[in-house]
Amino acid sequence: MATLSAAWMYQDRGLGPVDYSDDFITRKPNFNRFQTSFLGSFPTGILQTRFRLNNLLRRTSSVRRIKCEKNDELPEYVSVERPPYYSYFDSASGQLEPASGARASIPGEEYWPEGTASRVRAARAPEPTGESTGSPSYGKHPGSRRKKYKASVRARSSEVSVESSASLEPEVSEDATEDPKESSSEYVVYETESKAEGETEYELDKKLGRPHPFIDPKVRKPIEEPLSSEELWWNWRKSDKEQWSRWQRRRPDVETVFLKAMAETGQIKLYGEHPTLTETALYRARRHLFKEERLKAEQERLERIGPIAYYSEWVKAWKRDTSREAIQKHYEETVWGGDPVYPTVNYIQDPDEVIDYRGPDFHEPTPNMLDYLKEHGKVISREELEEILAKEKTEEVEMTDMDEAMAQAVDIGEKDEEGEDSDLDADADDEEEKITRNWSVLKSTPQLQKSKAKPKKDGPMSLEEAVDDSENLTDFLLDFDEED
Amino acid sequence: MAISVPLHQPTYSFFSNPQEQWKWCAKPSYSFSNNSQNNIRPIKASVETPPFPLFQNPKLEETPADGLEPADPDFYKIGYVRSMRAYGVEFKEGPDGFGVFASKDIEPRRRARLVMQIPLELMLTIRQKLPWMFFPDIVPLGHPIFDIINSTDPETDWDLRLACLLLYAFDQDDNFWQLYGDFLPNADECTSLLLATEEDLMELQDPNLASTMREQQKRAREFWEKNWHSGVPLKIKRLAHDPERFIWAVSIAQSRCINMQVRIGALVQDANMLIPYADMLNHSFQPNCFFHWRFKDRMLEVMVNAGQHVRRGEEMTVNYMHGQMNDMLMQRYGFSSPVNPWNVIQFSGDARIHLDSFLSVFNISGLPEEYYHNSKISSDEESFIDGAVIAAARTLPTWSDGDVPLVPSIERKAVKELQEECRQMLAEFPTTSKQDQKMLDSMKEPRRTLEAAIKYRLHRKLFIDKVTKALDIYQDRILF
Repeated sequence: MATLSAAWMYQDRGLGPVDYSDDFITRKPNFNRFQTSFLGSFPTGILQTRFRLNNLLRRTSSVRRIKCEKNDELPEYVSVERPPYYSYFDSASGQLEPASGARASIPGEEYWPEGTASRVRAARAPEPTGESTGSPSYGKHPGSRRKKYKASVRARSSEVSVESSASLEPEVSEDATEDPKESSSEYVVYETESKAEGETEYELDKKLGRPHPFIDPKVRKPIEEPLSSEELWWNWRKSDKEQWSRWQRRRPDVETVFLKAMAETGQIKLYGEHPTLTETALYRARRHLFKEERLKAEQERLERIGPIAYYSEWVKAWKRDTSREAIQKHYEETVWGGDPVYPTVNYIQDPDEVIDYRGPDFHEPTPNMLDYLKEHGKVISREELEEILAKEKTEEVEMTDMDEAMAQAVDIGEKDEEGEDSDLDADADDEEEKITRNWSVLKSTPQLQKSKAKPKKDGPMSLEEAVDDSENLTDFLLDFDEED
Repeated sequence: MAISVPLHQPTYSFFSNPQEQWKWCAKPSYSFSNNSQNNIRPIKASVETPPFPLFQNPKLEETPADGLEPADPDFYKIGYVRSMRAYGVEFKEGPDGFGVFASKDIEPRRRARLVMQIPLELMLTIRQKLPWMFFPDIVPLGHPIFDIINSTDPETDWDLRLACLLLYAFDQDDNFWQLYGDFLPNADECTSLLLATEEDLMELQDPNLASTMREQQKRAREFWEKNWHSGVPLKIKRLAHDPERFIWAVSIAQSRCINMQVRIGALVQDANMLIPYADMLNHSFQPNCFFHWRFKDRMLEVMVNAGQHVRRGEEMTVNYMHGQMNDMLMQRYGFSSPVNPWNVIQFSGDARIHLDSFLSVFNISGLPEEYYHNSKISSDEESFIDGAVIAAARTLPTWSDGDVPLVPSIERKAVKELQEECRQMLAEFPTTSKQDQKMLDSMKEPRRTLEAAIKYRLHRKLFIDKVTKALDIYQDRILF
């Protein structure tokens, strides 16, 4: 019953309790039945709604009000997305209706996609009724169908205007349209259907729902003889004239096409209409051989008559004698070459030649790689490497010194801390080694730098100590701003 | 139920047969009702209900225009078939032409309400600038009408282009305008001054406007002569066999053109559009409706202003041109209005009145561009204040200097001077407004243009009159 009430609420969202009263009243006999049948399945929480519904029932059954009242007792609406039920009793039809699916009723306007409402309204707008007395002039007489309010015209056409104004104005409003069709008789004239003459009794029957044959007997044609197997569309026999699809034709292949063409012209004779595989293979072999033969003949001709004569078709500019002697004479007289295709001798290559790419110092022995690399500075000895590393290490230490601006500053408090710092010296050295490897760490942690820098400064140095300590004279430059 | 009909009662006729179920709209004038009384009314089958209550009550809140009849049913039908729709309005015809009236009450809503929608296929549209694009594209590729359209000046000749297009549409089969053209005012009914004769232009009593109209007429006629000379192919020649037809088309194009910025496809363009049913809307300075272009399905929507309460039978109106004087309205559309809030009088001289006190006397509030009568402040004096008083507020020479108060004597002197000027202006006219009114009343079936011209000068004089009266009232109410 809760589902019932929820369903009612769900369905009748747009309507007031008007329908509630109707539904309650009409369904009252059903209600008791369903109450008993569903009673067992109710959770307790819903009993309250039942009571409320009972109250409603009692109220509406006692006083048949059609007016709506503000009803505070409406239970909450079920959310639209997922109804907790698969079917319910539709309030509109009273039948069991699925919550979703093809048999569910069409949702209301709130759920329509945009634009649908206006299209529906345009489609629902009633068609204008009413007959016009004038007829269009198709551009010849503009203004011919306006009512001209000249007294003479009006007096003349007063009957006409009476009838035309009597006919319906295409009112699109919801007012009831009255239809005073003018008729000259005094008797009551019932409006008959406009298509009364056009409708046969078959159509009338169909419209009125009376039993009627499937096909209009006037339109029906008598059953003729069945089609022959040739005419049937599912016939398996191949028709000579027409294939029912172009896919059924023969696939063209170069060889078959040419064979068929040659057979049609009479050059060769085929066994049947279309060339077979054997014929096609034979054709292919013959073609290959002919090609080879032809190529050989051409080569031979080239050798025989010489290049100029051979290519003279293509070289239109040479109109003189093309024989070998003439060419030889011409060649001697000028610096001009013999073969237009291969103009110089050097171009002629032996296809079987094996070319030797070995260079001029090919016979040199393999050199000593190590000496070679050492010579060019690509490799150094281990001792040199250690030397360099050692130098780098000491250099590192000096650099940290110079980075720190604070290191140069004279700090009074430093002498007190020297004792502690000397203890830290040993540690600091170890740490320095570590830190030199992580240069970024060194740079980003200023306290590390400071702790290193301080023990290094043992008060004011003598000049010799300072010179020994420094890497070069640039250390004495006191401009430290750029360094950090 | 009152029965008989006095002969000259303009509006309402009552029928002896209470079973008569005419529409709620009133019946036209006397001759009609005479006829109807003579005929025997047939008894309708559907009519057994008591007489329609509105019908018994003579006080219908209808528009002042009498004699409104529903338009020909085909008028709406030809549009309906081509998916034009009208919701809650109907088209009526009166002695002054077509109008669109509400057929039911419309409550004031927050959203503007759709009243009519007209699809693009029914319109005739040309883009205002080069390249000319026509929507719908009815001009075929090699047709000589396109050469004619091409030869027009892009800046100024929009009405000639539209006229050519209109005439071509009349000639094209299956074009909607072949059917709709029957409902356009023909040369006799069109009030545009392009069709006015010299006599009508003289009646204007406005030499500037008359000369402008003469120029326009000359321009239209020259265009016709240039492009419809005897050597043109028949395709062109049959569009306008005589210059009158062409000038009529130009007048229709000028008076019914709607210039809108529309977006079609990806292109936003200013277009001159001739839109079938929307051009039957009349003009008002306090309009009900406005036009909106719906890009999605290319429809023009006529929408009622948001928050506008429309009663049944009220006329739907649009503001044609904002902020223009009567002479512009006359030149373009062929009508004028006595309550144009943008009317201007050229005052010479130094007399000025205090703006703030003038506005407060008449309870006009708002910025100078948008003066309106604030009826919340005052309940009386409603009948006097109309657009003309607002125009007076705009056009009278005024001074306003912060908090400086007015000096009553100086004000009075200024008012007297201004009134003197108005009187002089009125005296310069050959006729007085009373004479004009009498002339209008006495003329039986005047030519439309003549009527419009006389109305124009009448409105002008009425306006000056009204300014004078307003100055009087102001003078009375100067607080000191």
